Amino acid sequence: MFSHVGSGHLGWDSLVQRKSVVSGGLAGILVCVIAWAFPGAGHLWLGRVQKGTVFLIVLPLMFLFGLWLEGQVFWFDLSQPLVALAALADLGIGLPYLLTRFFDAGEGRVVAVTYEYGNTFLVAAGLLNSLVVLDAYDIALGRK
Amino acid sequence: MSSHVGLMLVFSAFVSVVFAVLTKDDVDAQLRTGVILFAGFGGACILLGWLMFPFPL
Repeated sequence: MFSHVGSGHLGWDSLVQRKSVVSGGLAGILVCVIAWAFPGAGHLWLGRVQKGTVFLIVLPLMFLFGLWLEGQVFWFDLSQPLVALAALADLGIGLPYLLTRFFDAGEGRVVAVTYEYGNTFLVAAGLLNSLVVLDAYDIALGRK
Repeated sequence: MSSHVGLMLVFSAFVSVVFAVLTKDDVDAQLRTGVILFAGFGGACILLGWLMFPFPL
C-alpha cells in the first residue's frame, strides 16, 4: 500500500522520516480516518515521528483543557445552526469527541465563568486536528 | 483558572505549537515560528486591549 523511499528533511525527523507515496485513493482515505480518530497517528504511520508525537500530545491535551474549563462538547442540533457548526468543529478531534459523548462527559456548565473559554479550546482543538488530517493526506499522496 | 490573559496565553501556546510543527519540518524553524506566533498572539492581545481603552465597544 505504501512505498517508503529515502529521506529528505533536516532535523530530528530526518532520522526516521521517509517520503511515503500512497498507491491508491482508498489508502489516502484510510490515512485520513486514522489521523482523524487518533490525533497525530496519521503522521506517526507515515514516519513523521516528531510531528505525530507533538500532535498526539498537544491536541488531546487541548481538548482535555477545554473539558476542564467546563466547556460543552456539542451534539448536532440542526434547529440551531451555530450549535451544529460547533459540533462539526468539535467532531474534528476524532475519538476523544466520541468517547466524551459515549461517557456523557462534556455536558458543560453554562454558568461557569470559564464556559466560553472551554468551548473555544474544544472547538479549536477539533479545527486544528482537521488541519492535521489534511496535512497527513498531503503527505500520504506525496505532495509534501 | 479564570484569568482572561492567562487563558489566552495558554490557548496561544497550544495553537502556536500546532501551527509551527504543522508548517515547518526543521526543529529550529519550528521553534522560531512557534515563538514568533506566540509573541504575535500576546502582542496583538495587548495592542488590541489598549486600543479598546480610547475606543470602547
